[in-house]
Amino acid sequence: MPKVIKEPGKIIIPSDVAYLQMLDEFLEETLRGFGVSESDIADIAISVTELANNAIIHGNKENPEKVVDIRIKLINGAVEIIVSDEGKGFDTLALPDPLTEENLFKENGRGIFIVRSLMDKVDIKIRKDNGTVIKLVKKIKRVHK
Amino acid sequence: MKLSQREINDVVILEPKGKIMGGPDATLLHDKLHELIKDGKKKVIVDLAKVDWMNSTGLGILISGLTTMRNNGGELKLANVTDKIESLLTITKLITVFENYDSLEEALNSFKT
Repeated sequence: MPKVIKEPGKIIIPSDVAYLQMLDEFLEETLRGFGVSESDIADIAISVTELANNAIIHGNKENPEKVVDIRIKLINGAVEIIVSDEGKGFDTLALPDPLTEENLFKENGRGIFIVRSLMDKVDIKIRKDNGTVIKLVKKIKRVHK
Repeated sequence: MKLSQREINDVVILEPKGKIMGGPDATLLHDKLHELIKDGKKKVIVDLAKVDWMNSTGLGILISGLTTMRNNGGELKLANVTDKIESLLTITKLITVFENYDSLEEALNSFKT
C-alpha cells in the first residue's frame, strides 16, 4: 500500500476510509493557518471528506495501490481544493436527485448534492481511464491574518 | 467519533461525539443502530449535541436507522441537532423526515405521549 504523503497544501492518502480522519486533521490545520472561520472550515471539511470518501469507494474501488490526491490553497479570498482519484469516473448527469420522494429515504446519493450546496464552485473533470479531478472553490470569511 | 449509550425507562439514548464522516467510526454507529433493532429496542434517541458535523455518510446512517426502526414498529428521533447539521438536514429535506427536538428531555417526553 502507498504511504501517506503530507506536505504544506498537499496530502495523498491510500484508498482506505480509515485515512479520512487524518485528512480532516490536515484540512483543519491548513485552513486554520489560512485564518478561515470555524463555520467555513466545517463546510470545507464536510465537502472534502465527502469527495475523498467517494473517491476511495466509488473511484478507486478501495484498491490499496491507488491513491487520492488532495491539494488546497488560498487564492484571492477563496479556498481552492482539488481532489483527484485514479478511478474511471462517473456520469454527473446520471446522479439522482436526492430530494425526490422516491430518493428521500435512500441511504446514499446525497454527497455531490451537499458539496454543491456548501461550495461556491464545483468543477468535475472526468479523465478517461485516468481518474476524476474535482475542483472546489469556497469564498471565505477570514478571522485573522 | 466516540459513541456512548444509555437507557432511560425503555428509551435508548445514543450519544455520538466528534464528527461522522465515514470510515470505522461511522460503521460503529450504523452497526449499533442495527444491533438495537435486533435486540427489539423500539424507542431510540440520537443525541447530536456533541457532534460537530457529519457528511452524507452520517445522514445516510441516520436515515437507514430511521427506516429500519420504523419497519420494525419503532421510532428514531433526534435531539440537540447543532446548527451545522440542521442546515444539512434542511438542504437535503431530511428535516421533514425526522422528529427533531431541541433538548433530550423534550425528545424523551415525546415517547410518553
